[in-house]
Amino acid sequence: MNVVTTRGLHTRRGATEVLRGIDLEVRGGEVVAVVGPSGSGKTTLLRALNYLTPFTAGEVEIAGHALRPGMSERADAEALRAVRTRVGMVFQSFNLFPHLTALQNVTEAPRRVLGLDAAAAEARGRALLARVGLAEHAGAYPQTLSGGQQQRVAIARALAMEPVVMLFDEPTSALDPRLVGEVLAVVGDLASAGQTMVIVTHEIAFARRVADRVIVLVGGRIVESGTAAEVLERPQAAETRALLGR
Amino acid sequence: MGVRMRRPIARAEKSCPPAVPPLKRAALGWLRGIVLVAMMAAAGRAAADDALARLHARGTLRWGGDMQGGEPYVFQDPRDRRRLAGFEVEIADALARRLEVRAEFAQNDWQTLIPSLERGDFDVALNGIEVTPARRARVAFTRPYFAFTETLVVRREDGSVHGLGDLRGERVGTLEGSLALDLVRAAPGVEAVLYEGVEEPYLDLERGRLRAVLLDNIIAGRYALPRATLRAVGTVGEGVYAIAVRPDEPELLRAVDGALAAVMGDGELRRILERWHLWDARQATLAGAAAPSAEAAAAAGTLAYLPLFLRGAGFTVVISVLAMALAIAGGLVLSVARRYGGPVVAAAAGVYVELFRGTPVLLQLYVLYYGLAPVLTLDAFTAAVVGLGLNYAAYESELYRAGLEAVPLGQSEAALALGMSRWLALRRIVLPQALRVALPGMANDFIALLKDSSLVSVITVVELTKQMTITAVDVRGWLGPGILCAALYLAMSYPLARLARRLERRLAPAPA
Repeated sequence: MNVVTTRGLHTRRGATEVLRGIDLEVRGGEVVAVVGPSGSGKTTLLRALNYLTPFTAGEVEIAGHALRPGMSERADAEALRAVRTRVGMVFQSFNLFPHLTALQNVTEAPRRVLGLDAAAAEARGRALLARVGLAEHAGAYPQTLSGGQQQRVAIARALAMEPVVMLFDEPTSALDPRLVGEVLAVVGDLASAGQTMVIVTHEIAFARRVADRVIVLVGGRIVESGTAAEVLERPQAAETRALLGR
Repeated sequence: MGVRMRRPIARAEKSCPPAVPPLKRAALGWLRGIVLVAMMAAAGRAAADDALARLHARGTLRWGGDMQGGEPYVFQDPRDRRRLAGFEVEIADALARRLEVRAEFAQNDWQTLIPSLERGDFDVALNGIEVTPARRARVAFTRPYFAFTETLVVRREDGSVHGLGDLRGERVGTLEGSLALDLVRAAPGVEAVLYEGVEEPYLDLERGRLRAVLLDNIIAGRYALPRATLRAVGTVGEGVYAIAVRPDEPELLRAVDGALAAVMGDGELRRILERWHLWDARQATLAGAAAPSAEAAAAAGTLAYLPLFLRGAGFTVVISVLAMALAIAGGLVLSVARRYGGPVVAAAAGVYVELFRGTPVLLQLYVLYYGLAPVLTLDAFTAAVVGLGLNYAAYESELYRAGLEAVPLGQSEAALALGMSRWLALRRIVLPQALRVALPGMANDFIALLKDSSLVSVITVVELTKQMTITAVDVRGWLGPGILCAALYLAMSYPLARLARRLERRLAPAPA
């Protein structure tokens, strides 16, 4: 069963079309990597899936809810909240809340959005911090953590909502190269555990290792799509070969 | 006379005029050396001996008065705004004619006429200056030119007040620095409420903010008794107006007093007073009166007033804290309305901010207290807190707006992506970060508010600065009360300034 389905997705920034008709299907438990050159619309596609970036045409079905063009944060607040509560997102620049500790970053939404009591939220938060290897940093503020640690807190924060699908927007691009591994390891563990994920990434080797399917996005269109082995070992499209440096 | 307006800057200048009474000059010799050299040179001890020659050389008699004191003393002629009218204008003209010079008017706040005379801003002060022992210790007076009584005025339906003795525990309005104030203060248990204009006390009496008003009969006759809602219950005391001259210019005193004697002797004074409907039997008895003798009354030390200063400082703190609380709440609402409200709400909040930032807080206090009185009668304390709070809310909102803009967009996106509502994201994620950015500015604003709270004295609240001006009149000097007043303000603001600096240091590295 599909967790994410898009049909004919279009977005524009000002006069420029960014996505030019994206059809995408992600099944439950599937890990989909989205690769492509800078400016190809990878991030826009991911942000359109939870409507952080509005789309102008097409449709999105995600986590059992439908999104349509022209929704507004004010008028469709409830519908958007219903989607976002079920869809986790991890940002390139972490976007941790600097005035909250690592644990509070993780427990804030379960408490305030899901209505968990303090003890239940804390238990869930501590378990998730342990899962990303940060049990002993629960009381630390984000500024005192390394980039890799911050991104792992951000992953725990998204997981705390028990999302049906996780969206990763270049989760290692802002990291010092020696910190990339610890974040990819966590994402890899999630993949092994059967978490449905859409990952925008530049890490081709990582995509080959964890992704069930790879999508190549160029100029706002999908130029190639298939299993990681098919797309990355035997690329068909010229754009893919250029991207892979072959 | 309408409502009196004074720019805040003018008050600030008034708060600490560099005047020192003659009594204290010896004791403050070293200070005089530092602070007053330039002033003394300008004001002119050197010229003191030939003050009269100075007058003739200049060709004018410079006389100080306050045209905002209103009809019938000195005021702008309603038929020709460039000209002055009033019985004292005519007296000054008559005196100048006798001295063979021209009368030249110098505008000066009524409360500070004596210090300004001492500074040498004008030759004589002539503006309903009541001869009191305190004033006689500071300046020399001519013979009196008008005899007045103090008239107690109450609301028409108030039948139980017959004198000051019936007003124990009641609020009685009067003018700062007046003989009437001395009488009110001398009455046990009566609370004196101080005004700077002559119309406002009667307005407040009508509104029920006061139980009675005690002022000179001329003022009561012009400003109270025409009101059908008020009536005079009687006369509480009496006194005389005379012309004040610097004590070290005896020649000028003799000349002006002689001129006044001549004006009285040939009936010109009577004609002037009759023209202004001020002549009564009491004036006739003045004809024989000589210049009052200058007997000095001992001035009490400033420190004896410390408890009153502390009380004033207490009011300053309480008003500032409450006003700041209101400003913070109001500022938050305004800034959120401007950033997140719809176009109409945001525009309305913008108009509010520009209106309250762009007009003087003094004007806002007047409008709130006197202007709105017919529809909304606030007591002075409430009006002070609300007035300052509404004004500072405009400034706070700008601080918070800057704070909100300093929070990266990614913060609210992360909150929304977690399923938070926009309001929850604002309240739990964005606002706490914005407030941290705004905190140092808020501490600075609070210090400014502490000092701006001195403005509420115009609506009769006796806070620290007002206490200083009252005490300055009592102890006949501005320096001691001024220093004590400044010390108390510093004691309040300096810890805050330190706190603000610490906050700035702590928050300096912007949160990642």
